[in-house]
Amino acid sequence: SAAEHNWRFSNLYGRGTAFGELYEGLAKDIESMSDGRIAVQVLYSGEGVGTAGLLGAVKSGLITMGAPFQSMHAGELPAGVVEIGLPGGTDDPVKLNALFHDQGWDVVLKQAYGSQGMVWLEPYIQPPVYIITKNPINSVADFQGLKIRAPGAYGKFLRNLGASPVSLAWSEIYTSLATGVIDGSIGSNMIDHRDGNHVEVAKYMYRLPLAGAQVLPIVVNRGAWKKLPEELKAAVQKATENHAQAQLSKSKAWESEAVTEMKAKGLQWSPEASDADKKAWADAGAGLWDEYASQDKYSKQLIDILRKSQ
Amino acid sequence: MGIELLTAVLLLCILVFFALGAPVGLALGGIAMVIGYMTWGDGIYNVIPSTIEATYFSFILLAIPLYIYMGQLLTKSGIGDAMFNASQLLIGKVRGSLAISVIAVCSMIGAMVGIIGAGIMTSGSIALRPMLERGYDKRLALGVIMAGGGLGILIPPSIPMIMFAASTQNSVGRMFLGAMVPALLMICLLVAYVVISCRLNPSRAPLLEEMEPSTPLNAKQKFRTARDGLFAVLLIVAVLGSIITGIATPTESGAIGVVGAIVLAIVFKRFKMEMFQAAGLQTAILVSVAMWIIFGASVFSNFHLLMGVQSMVAEFVGGLDLPPIMIIIMFQIIMLLLGFIIDEFIIVLMCAPLFTPIAVSMGYDPIWFGVLMIINILIAVQTPPYGFALFYLKGIAPAGVGMGDIYKSVTPFIMLNLVVLILCMVFPEIVLWLPNKVMG
Amino acid sequence: MVATFLRGVCRSIDLVVMLTGKAASYLMPILAFVVAFEVFSRYFLGKPTIWAFDVSLFLFGYVAALGGAYAQQKRAHINVDILYLSVSHKTRCVFNLLSFSLGIFFLLIILHMSLGKYEEAIEFDYRRQGEWAPPMYHFWVMLVIASGLFIAQLGRDMLLDLYYLFTGQALIEQESDDGN
Ligand code: NA
Ligand code: NA
Repeated sequence: SAAEHNWRFSNLYGRGTAFGELYEGLAKDIESMSDGRIAVQVLYSGEGVGTAGLLGAVKSGLITMGAPFQSMHAGELPAGVVEIGLPGGTDDPVKLNALFHDQGWDVVLKQAYGSQGMVWLEPYIQPPVYIITKNPINSVADFQGLKIRAPGAYGKFLRNLGASPVSLAWSEIYTSLATGVIDGSIGSNMIDHRDGNHVEVAKYMYRLPLAGAQVLPIVVNRGAWKKLPEELKAAVQKATENHAQAQLSKSKAWESEAVTEMKAKGLQWSPEASDADKKAWADAGAGLWDEYASQDKYSKQLIDILRKSQ
Repeated sequence: MGIELLTAVLLLCILVFFALGAPVGLALGGIAMVIGYMTWGDGIYNVIPSTIEATYFSFILLAIPLYIYMGQLLTKSGIGDAMFNASQLLIGKVRGSLAISVIAVCSMIGAMVGIIGAGIMTSGSIALRPMLERGYDKRLALGVIMAGGGLGILIPPSIPMIMFAASTQNSVGRMFLGAMVPALLMICLLVAYVVISCRLNPSRAPLLEEMEPSTPLNAKQKFRTARDGLFAVLLIVAVLGSIITGIATPTESGAIGVVGAIVLAIVFKRFKMEMFQAAGLQTAILVSVAMWIIFGASVFSNFHLLMGVQSMVAEFVGGLDLPPIMIIIMFQIIMLLLGFIIDEFIIVLMCAPLFTPIAVSMGYDPIWFGVLMIINILIAVQTPPYGFALFYLKGIAPAGVGMGDIYKSVTPFIMLNLVVLILCMVFPEIVLWLPNKVMG
Repeated sequence: MVATFLRGVCRSIDLVVMLTGKAASYLMPILAFVVAFEVFSRYFLGKPTIWAFDVSLFLFGYVAALGGAYAQQKRAHINVDILYLSVSHKTRCVFNLLSFSLGIFFLLIILHMSLGKYEEAIEFDYRRQGEWAPPMYHFWVMLVIASGLFIAQLGRDMLLDLYYLFTGQALIEQESDDGN
């Protein structure tokens, strides 16, 4: 029988990748938990909507549901950059859950996404951002003058450490590392570094992550959401909550798998960071908080809550 | 409307509007919007902004304007001609020598750029007119440019190879190395084809002395020709060097080429303001032509993907019950057929993750399969009616070269590509020997 | 009388489209310079810029979109001309009317959507996602202009075709007619 609601769900992972299959699982859960009243067509990376246009596509309803990467939309919804995790943030899932569910980030984010015609559903905790470099980083001072591919907030953070952030297309990272156009690059996580084969051309991973964890949202077009009766809204909500658990446990496992694979190809960790390095690292991140709070009202609300919670 | 029927309707509309002589980009976008409105409603119009954000803000495509500009500056200043004149001093006695030097230049440009458009439009700007002026057969000249320019994705660096490696979690380095021998093979076959076909049919490629019988160059003229040609080649070497030494990315290297071409023109006292303006204007037109096609085609394929064409291919592939080698051959056929209506990047994005795990599970090497896929794409962009290489070549060709000439010119070169494809299929060592030797 | 008026309209469109196309072409050297400067600044000064990435993409988009109408005026857009070149002038006019109508429909949607995105960009202060974060609204304004001019040029070309169909005479002489 035909479904009452036909949804299109876009994520940024390739067909057949581990994360891609996880999102496919969410789609299946929504279908089964709604007793087939919602049908979900999953669209993978590059299928119909590009990375940069995803948020706009959910907003306009071209895509019903999306799993965007907020950094790509920093110019459209600045609060997303705070949501994903500013440099220096925590990686403790318990603390993150409290921040989102008890201390009020969910309320602010619902407003922020709501102001642009989207319904914010659930936060997903994913592994953090690491920097891979061609030469080992023995102390923070070694970042001085290094050219590192790092967009947006991460670029600003690295500049505070004396590095020179560079903007490049993702598909040019490999060749740029190989030829030495850049000395290092961030990846959206370890899995991204592995998929990009960066370890073939840069062997050293710095130990301190840029942000403790990354938190990604699931958003739904408001018009489509409003068409759902209460019981279906509850079913979708429940499916996304279950999915959050799966994301957390699976992504940890995949991250360590990716690191193991890269080690087999010669990846080495840079030496352990000293206490002075850790402080310099934290200081470089702290300066960004004020800057982001001053630029956007939702960002300010999020950062105020963050400060209070510490 | 089911996706199979929709695909058939879209294909039919393409054929009708192509036959009517509609501008390709507008026709593709317009067809998608009309059919989209009838099947989806006006919500489909929202595909326009997201497609604009994806195509106009693609840093990779930036290689297109930069390389076209370099090509135009070299042509309009006469430096491009100098390069080919110099090559005639060396191999002018060989019939088809100009086409052979075009293949050499295309191979070098192929080593600089990673996408089809930049390769064909640069090579075409520089090399098409010299061949036509010297009385070369139109089809030979066009086909050589197309085949040579296409080497941009077979000779590393190559964006489709990087996309393949990323979406199937394979080594980019291995892909690059794996394509080296097939690329070399392709270049040799191209040269052999030119030499043999010109020997069989001498009128296809007149020798210089047959064109202008009584103008032997004196020593001074020879020196100038050699000097100018040498500097022009040095520019290409410098651009290539800027990539290899890590000064610039393949995309950015086009800008180095532009600056170098301007400096050369000034050094050779060939820089004139009218030349500079004409090169800019011609570049702007060509960039616009290329981008309106890319944009219209992206709108078209985004609509098709949103309607689920990838699921159709996935289901079809999942239902194949054939012996392993037949499945591999089937994959090649599917990709060649998709190439009739879908562009190069989408084929990689769609087929790499669908096909590669199946090929690997049957015991085939993913790098081998990836290189086959790249050769397939190379063929796909050259097969009528819908192929970016064809459109780019038409854009660069002088008035009087119709699409019919271009369609006809590609046949022997597609055959050569098919030969390389089949050789690589039958002898996987052609692909795997070098990466295994270098990377273990 | 009518013909004179129509001719005036066509010539005005031709002029505006040509001037815009030529203006866009002056952005080409700037684009090349910006990219070259980024390379210079990164490699020789060790200081990558934060602006060259977005500036080069904007310039690329401006040249590509704004040149569309002028390319149409020069008959430079790619078409498959196999049948097109072998039919009579009148048939060709009919072909043009059909395909240009489809093109205008597509361009009208682009114009409409760009206008909507412009309003959105102003309302929410949309910017590029990089560190430099330049505003986006001007790009949508540019697209409105680019698609508007392209529509005007196609409309002018259709007018000529219609005039020829009805009168059997060219509205404007020395019209290039090779369909190329
Ligand atoms: Na290449
Ligand atoms: Na094709």
